[in-house]
Amino acid sequence: MTRRRALLGSFALALGACSRAAPEARQAGPIQIVWKTQPLGDPGPLRRSLAEFERRHPGVTVRVEYLPNAPGAVHQYLLTSLEGASADFDVFITDVIWVAELARAGWLVDLSSAFPERAVRRDFLPGPADAVLVQGGTYAVPWYADVGILYFRADLLPRAPRTFLEIAEMVERGKSKHKKPIHGYLWQGLQSEALVCNAFETIWGTGGIPESPDRIELTTPQAEAALRFMRALITSGVSPTSVTSMAEEESRRVFQAGDALLMRNWPYAWAECQSKGSPVRNRVGIAPLPTADGSPGHGALGGYQLALSAHSPAYKREAAIALIQHLTSYEGNLMMALDYARLPARKGPYGDPRMASGAPIMASLLPAMERALPRPVTPYYPMIDDTLAAEMSAAITGVRSPAEALRRAQALADHLVAETT
Amino acid sequence: MVAQGPPLNTPIPPATPPRTGRDKVESYLLAAPSAMMLMGIAIFPIAATAWLSLYRMIIVFHQRHFIGLSNYAFLLRDPRFWTALGNTAYFALLSVTLEVALGLALALLLDARVPGRALLRAAVLVPWAIPSAISSKMWAWMWNPEYGVLTHILPGGGSINWLGTPGYAMHAAIVVDVWKTTPFVALLLLAALQGIPEDLYRAAAIDGASPTRTFLRITLPLLRPALAVAVVLRTLDAFRVFDSVYVLTAGGPANTTETLSIYTYKTLMSSGDFGYGSTLAVATFVCVLAVSLLYLKIAGKEARP
Repeated sequence: MTRRRALLGSFALALGACSRAAPEARQAGPIQIVWKTQPLGDPGPLRRSLAEFERRHPGVTVRVEYLPNAPGAVHQYLLTSLEGASADFDVFITDVIWVAELARAGWLVDLSSAFPERAVRRDFLPGPADAVLVQGGTYAVPWYADVGILYFRADLLPRAPRTFLEIAEMVERGKSKHKKPIHGYLWQGLQSEALVCNAFETIWGTGGIPESPDRIELTTPQAEAALRFMRALITSGVSPTSVTSMAEEESRRVFQAGDALLMRNWPYAWAECQSKGSPVRNRVGIAPLPTADGSPGHGALGGYQLALSAHSPAYKREAAIALIQHLTSYEGNLMMALDYARLPARKGPYGDPRMASGAPIMASLLPAMERALPRPVTPYYPMIDDTLAAEMSAAITGVRSPAEALRRAQALADHLVAETT
Repeated sequence: MVAQGPPLNTPIPPATPPRTGRDKVESYLLAAPSAMMLMGIAIFPIAATAWLSLYRMIIVFHQRHFIGLSNYAFLLRDPRFWTALGNTAYFALLSVTLEVALGLALALLLDARVPGRALLRAAVLVPWAIPSAISSKMWAWMWNPEYGVLTHILPGGGSINWLGTPGYAMHAAIVVDVWKTTPFVALLLLAALQGIPEDLYRAAAIDGASPTRTFLRITLPLLRPALAVAVVLRTLDAFRVFDSVYVLTAGGPANTTETLSIYTYKTLMSSGDFGYGSTLAVATFVCVLAVSLLYLKIAGKEARP
């Protein structure tokens, strides 16, 4: 009898231990804001910035938790934790292309009280502003920005090409003048988000800019011409066949080793090319992307925003908004530029004398940033993004004709929009 | 004096089922923890996934309504699913064949009495021991068209971009998988090889059988059970392959290396379409179940004399 009682007792204990912990009530003591972000490099400057925030706001502490550097993994984490109503974190980073999706799902707090639309449009660059001003509110605040630009070998080419035709001509001339074999134009053709960025930049370069940022218009003659051009770059040899398996890092390595004349990449590659020991140090120039008619091209808008989770408890809201204001302030943007080589999302810092002396190349990227265009700003974007990458990859590897690939991508986009409205 | 137990010819009393109700309850209680763990880890997730697949559930749009078998109807018409299934089947067929052939050869070599045999056997396990995501990253650099060692030594040189050309990428992924799992098959077969009694070989040698005949008539038939186990395990794993292919090509180029698992993952995690993603997961489960049932049937037929 006692043995059975002991068995039953231990069974009940085990069951009890499996029960869910009660949600945290408001605890006495300092408010702790949990911030999910990606590691940027040297944690020193960021820690100093957070220490200053804690000094200005006694009673608030900030806890930084790191997410992996892969955007796919971050998106997956955000989807599953926000769907599961996790209260583990308060402030978190989001890519430009997720803001519309997360806002539509109701997982982001509307920050219009602290960041009204007028102020956002006045202080921030147009691209990042467009990405965060969705559904009539401000659902995230731009933290730092990114844009696609062209890198060229200033010692081998007289200037950067401005038109698509000039790319082919200058590559041919550059190759013939160079004694060793050298590659022409490198870009990212790996079936991934990078390819979608490259493809949209080329589509915009042929004049295929949609009327409003939330439209997905793929079956236009400009889009078809753009994909045909990208395929022709490979078949004609202007770009090596290896571009179809290159992401940002692979193309940067080849260019940095001195084995290519032109490269499309994000601004981070500049710091790498100028680093000590780089074979192309002081031999690289940057320019806007080329277009069909020679006007300066539009780079794809990238960068990260800060958002506040809707599941974060109400008593933390004010402190969390204060943290977002601190990190996205003018001084915060300057710190990101000078210490971490991340382009400011605000317009002001570009004219600051500290930028001119500490990061002159970044200061010169203001025109490129002002021309940056976002990929379609719609909650459906992450859903069709994967199909877009597959169809564009099919077009540039010759598996399908560009017209057929775009038609399939548009059909899926229309099907998704129709089914979910 | 050796300690004496009961005499060896004492009959062992047969196991008795629980006689009283109290004993029955006690036996259920004792079995309950492991049964619950099995239910929690295995049965419940499968049932939950099958139940989810009957819904249209897109978490971003907070859509969750019951649609019955519509997901399955769409699955049968979905060209991307059939492409993924074809890719997975091709991958499984080719890689398992190569793994078993190479694994058998490796096992025969390791069975020979050479000095340092123990070290060789340990060294052969290294590809299996390295996590597949890490070894895939290494292989991705080896297949790199600019700097990769393989693109330089293979015919065609740097002009073939193995990972970026449709058709070639799948075979590059198969090479990576074969490299990784041949040691597993080899060790499985080695253990079975060592169970074959020496006398058979000696008798064959006396009768004047050539090495080929010895292999075909003695070794292979006795290895059949182990071969069956190796083939079943490897086919099941090959059907569910995810990390080695995903790290290598992410399903590209143009979805030519997209396996069922990769399609399921992208549908679930990138699109947030939990309804259709669960349908794909159930489809993968059904395929794997069909394969294992088929093998069990074949193996069962052989076991019966």
